Amino acid sequence: MAETPGPTFESQLLAAADAVYRFALALTRDPVRAEDLVQETYVRALAHRDQFEMGTDCRAWLFTICRNAFLKGMHRAEREVVTEDAALEALAAAGIHASVLGADPEGALFERSDLAEAIQRALAKLPEEYRTAVMLVDIEDQSYAEAARVLGVPIGTVRSRLFRGRRLLQQDLLAYAEDAGLLRSREEVG
Amino acid sequence: MVSCREVIERLWDYLDGELDPVWTEEIAAHLAECARCYPQYRYEFAFLEALARQREAAPKPPKELLERLRELVVA
Repeated sequence: MAETPGPTFESQLLAAADAVYRFALALTRDPVRAEDLVQETYVRALAHRDQFEMGTDCRAWLFTICRNAFLKGMHRAEREVVTEDAALEALAAAGIHASVLGADPEGALFERSDLAEAIQRALAKLPEEYRTAVMLVDIEDQSYAEAARVLGVPIGTVRSRLFRGRRLLQQDLLAYAEDAGLLRSREEVG
Repeated sequence: MVSCREVIERLWDYLDGELDPVWTEEIAAHLAECARCYPQYRYEFAFLEALARQREAAPKPPKELLERLRELVVA
């Protein structure tokens, strides 16, 4: 029986447009700049199509091109450097959980559908390196190894950035929920 | 038997499916029995699910951009 041909390079590029736009929007935090960045990403991808290995994840390849194009337009001083230890970040998150034990032990807050906008705002506030790691792993469902390839850093660095980003997001969302009266204040609960 | 500290240190790796089968099994067994770690597992799970839902909640690319990309790709 003849083998069914896989999706063409062109169809994979077009199928990835939503994901690349989300990623560009997370990088730039500006819809107009995101559009320009996506377009530049596709121009570069088409110019270097010989570098794409068919059968590999086209989205990951486009994310790499997109981030490189984004960084090219940034000054070195604007890039953050991360040195935190991932295990410490995971333990620090346990501290956050301990602080909400009385008010929300199993994270019912995160199941609220009206939290989406607050999550978007909190994501936008994260430093770029944390935001990118969270976007790739938590939203675009890339593995640590795939995210490491996109970012050109070791897997341990991805974990540190990801865990730090998650912890900052949790802190931000808890503060928002307390201010908005969605959660009893941690002080109130005692 | 793994300790609570070892579980909490690896909880995000566990939820991300990044641990080897031995650790995965150890942590699953610990969570099934530990009244202290289980709520944190539920908490982090709910948090990561909320982030994953952002994929659908995020803005879609404008039609004009999709049109330009299509022209570029099929040219």
